[in-house]
Amino acid sequence: MRLFANYGIVLEFPNVQTCCGQPAYNSGYWEEAKAAAKTIISAFADSDFVITPSGSCAHMVHHYVEMFKDEPQWQEQARKLQGKMFEFSQFLVGVLGIKDLGAHFPHKVTYHPSCHGSRLLGVKSEPMELLRNVRGLEFVPLPFAEDCCGFGGTFAIKMADISGAMVSEKVDHLIETEAEVLVGLDMGCLMNIAGNLRYRNQPVRVMHLVELLYEGVSNSNEHAANGA
Amino acid sequence: MSEREQDWLKQLDEQALSKQEQFLDMIAAKLKRPRVKQKPQRPFSGAPDFWQQYELSETEKLDMFQRNFEAAGGYVLHAATLQDASVLIAEKAAELKALHILRQDEEPLARLGLEQALPHVQVRCWNNDETEDWKARAAEADIGVVLADYAVAYTGSITLLSSKTKGRSVSLLPTLLFALIPRSSVVTKLGEVLKQFDELGRAELPAGIHFVSGPSRSADIENDLTIGVHGPGIVYAIIIDDII
Amino acid sequence: MSTQQTALKGTVKERAQLALNNDFLRQAVRFTTERLRSGKLKAAEEHGNWDEWRERGRQIRLHTIAHLDYYLGEFATNARENGVHVHFAATAQEAIQIGLAIAQAKEAKSAVKSKSMVTEEIHLNQALQSLGIEAIETDLGEYIIQLANEAPSHIIIPAIHKNRYQIAELLSEDAGEQLPPETSVLAGYVRKKLREKFLQADIGVTGCNFAIAETGSIVLFENEGNARMVSTVPKTQITFMGMERIIPSWADLEVMATLLPRSATGQKLTVYMSGISGPKRADDGDGPEEMHIIILDNGRSLQLGDPEFQELLNCIRCGACLNACPVYRHIGGHAYGGTYSGPIGAVLTPALKKNVAEWDDIANASSLCGACYEACPVKIPLHDMLVSLRRRKVEAGHGNALESAGMKGFAGVMSSSKVYHSTLKLGKLGQKLVVRDGGIPAKIGPLKGWNSHRIAPSIAKKLFRERYGELKAELGQQVKANAEVEQRMQQWLKGRQDGGISHE
Repeated sequence: MRLFANYGIVLEFPNVQTCCGQPAYNSGYWEEAKAAAKTIISAFADSDFVITPSGSCAHMVHHYVEMFKDEPQWQEQARKLQGKMFEFSQFLVGVLGIKDLGAHFPHKVTYHPSCHGSRLLGVKSEPMELLRNVRGLEFVPLPFAEDCCGFGGTFAIKMADISGAMVSEKVDHLIETEAEVLVGLDMGCLMNIAGNLRYRNQPVRVMHLVELLYEGVSNSNEHAANGA
Repeated sequence: MSEREQDWLKQLDEQALSKQEQFLDMIAAKLKRPRVKQKPQRPFSGAPDFWQQYELSETEKLDMFQRNFEAAGGYVLHAATLQDASVLIAEKAAELKALHILRQDEEPLARLGLEQALPHVQVRCWNNDETEDWKARAAEADIGVVLADYAVAYTGSITLLSSKTKGRSVSLLPTLLFALIPRSSVVTKLGEVLKQFDELGRAELPAGIHFVSGPSRSADIENDLTIGVHGPGIVYAIIIDDII
Repeated sequence: MSTQQTALKGTVKERAQLALNNDFLRQAVRFTTERLRSGKLKAAEEHGNWDEWRERGRQIRLHTIAHLDYYLGEFATNARENGVHVHFAATAQEAIQIGLAIAQAKEAKSAVKSKSMVTEEIHLNQALQSLGIEAIETDLGEYIIQLANEAPSHIIIPAIHKNRYQIAELLSEDAGEQLPPETSVLAGYVRKKLREKFLQADIGVTGCNFAIAETGSIVLFENEGNARMVSTVPKTQITFMGMERIIPSWADLEVMATLLPRSATGQKLTVYMSGISGPKRADDGDGPEEMHIIILDNGRSLQLGDPEFQELLNCIRCGACLNACPVYRHIGGHAYGGTYSGPIGAVLTPALKKNVAEWDDIANASSLCGACYEACPVKIPLHDMLVSLRRRKVEAGHGNALESAGMKGFAGVMSSSKVYHSTLKLGKLGQKLVVRDGGIPAKIGPLKGWNSHRIAPSIAKKLFRERYGELKAELGQQVKANAEVEQRMQQWLKGRQDGGISHE
């Protein structure tokens, strides 16, 4: 919110919103997912743009159209929502054309592209462009970055051991990079990876790209204030 | 085949025909439409358009064939004439102390004169004697010699078509294979060869059409590449400038 | 000898557990899939325009399946003209019956086989052996697992789960002498042993990668030469093919030959690609004298006309989805419990059987990461199909009782922000009991599995939705108008009204 305020954009947070319904959808409980979907559709009916800090949630909205194939009115609404729904970096770079926020973040950083955001929603270059324009940031590529971290929502609970093996492999690769910070676009994956890091007592900091950029902009502002 | 066996086969074929009708009707029903009996219209067939335009110059084709064939573990040699090719084969046969060579029954391969060049080696000619067990002869051969019908640069493959005079076993059972490739038969891409089979049509096709891209291989044991598992482990392609 | 017939016991979860505890298996599967996957990516990139080729491949498959009755009929007619005896089998049992009838009529003592997933699917080897006919797998990897009495665990590399020492032991027993664990020696032994088998066999059994409708030809892709042996040496050839293997013409084969080897192993073309159009011609010196093709349904037609699953029939069995799948890489093929493993197996096995009760089990073994879809050369949306399987199971009333109750609760909570909010608050209250140092390490309740590998985060002390009001008030003063940004947003809105710009 603070980031967007710098560009004259006021973010509304309709308090009536809940969850996009993906956990129910992916588990096969479409009726239950529809209940959540209707809440979301109604909550954002009046907004011009809807921005979410999760590629997975943004992509979930793409399933709404199919879910409501027997309810044409809701389907029409769903189609509208899909057209105005953006993942955060997608909106910043794709719509606003902002690639450089003037952030300063002097750390070694690696990036995990979440599956739904990058593979299904197609958000690949945007976060990289934003990171490239952060001063002082040393980027190290994550080996096998595209591999799933094993979160998969309810999968992590239902198939806990397989999921655990996947996140351990992800964190092995992460440790190999010797990065101080892992940045990503999806809280689910980040929570999963952070959980395994903590479990193994690894000091890598896990941040959402928004957090990193915000901290980076604050760093720049402080720097300017001190210099002045 | 005995009469009884023939009757049995005929009966089996008749059963299959009626079963086929049920089978295809069921498919149409599942697709929720009547049976399609006319050839369906297709907006396109084969490779994408940009690929149809892809064409290499002659030198590029030869280079690319060689690169790909060697990358797959094969060897590529060049010969100006059949006589030169004969020398290359004879040298290799002597080096490896080959005892049996089997070649296809084709006129250019006869002109190699391997019998004269290798007097101590038994050189046989495929299927020129009906009483012979030719598969066994192919299995005992150290070297097989064939004339390629085509070669494809982009995939590094040679194409071999079967016929009375061209056995499939000759390129398969011997330990080492020599394939002679007339320079003019090298094409850029696989589709150029495949389309000819569409144009020839069913009735003109040989029973066996084989594309060979290097020596037989397997990575089934711990990903360790092994050469010569069932087919020839050593494959030489000799590109000949002029076959006359 | 028989390829594994002991029914696989337990759930996917239990079988996966076995695999996860088998270090060698995990290492071997990871190593191999990694090698194949990078080979595929390299080959696709080198070839260029990969997505256009994929799309063309998908279109060819879609068209053929949509007109399958026509193309299958055309294929059968042309194959018969070539002198082939073509048979149709609705079920595995029917296919077996026809195959056995032919073998008996030939008074066959032995059959050599090249790699074929369809014959695995119908358990042909066991059937042949029940009649005292020796059935010999001739692909190196298949031969090894046949000796071990197991099923293939990968479509392309069937013995992916065995190391050279285990293989040396199996082959030594077969040879009756001690063989060293060296690949070339072991492969050399198999070459020699199988040479004799090829030359003695009465019947050659093959699968079929593609069948060309216009000329009635079958096409086989392989690297070892054993499929050529099987289709050249024995007097009788029997080819088993899934009814969906059809493509219209040889020109279409160029697309499949571009997609299949690159996706499977990263090769430009397999060492051998053979098109076989009927038995040997009258004056040919080799090739089978008699040729049969048995076309099998066995559940495939259940996908026809089903909008969610028809594309499953587009599969060209390359195995790329297995190599891309992080779950497969960790648990290996056997954990899936069916003939087909990996993402394609997780969908195909239940879809072929239409067995609702089995659906959830296999379909749950996926994080829905979409790597399979991305790797698929004909773009089958496997991750969506997994969700459809889960949905159908729930709709059929086979959901897990606890989960159903949970999801009902989910719907209740998510349809009302008030309830959602108070649930979060309640969660905050509850977690006071378990939070240690900002995380929840206790292995209790649904978090038991999660916390065996991680520490769960706690809910924030102050929720964003609680802070939003003050934040907005604070920022209200600070918002700086930005003309350029404003203009870009207006442009998007205008584009949307005109129906022009939209994003997918």
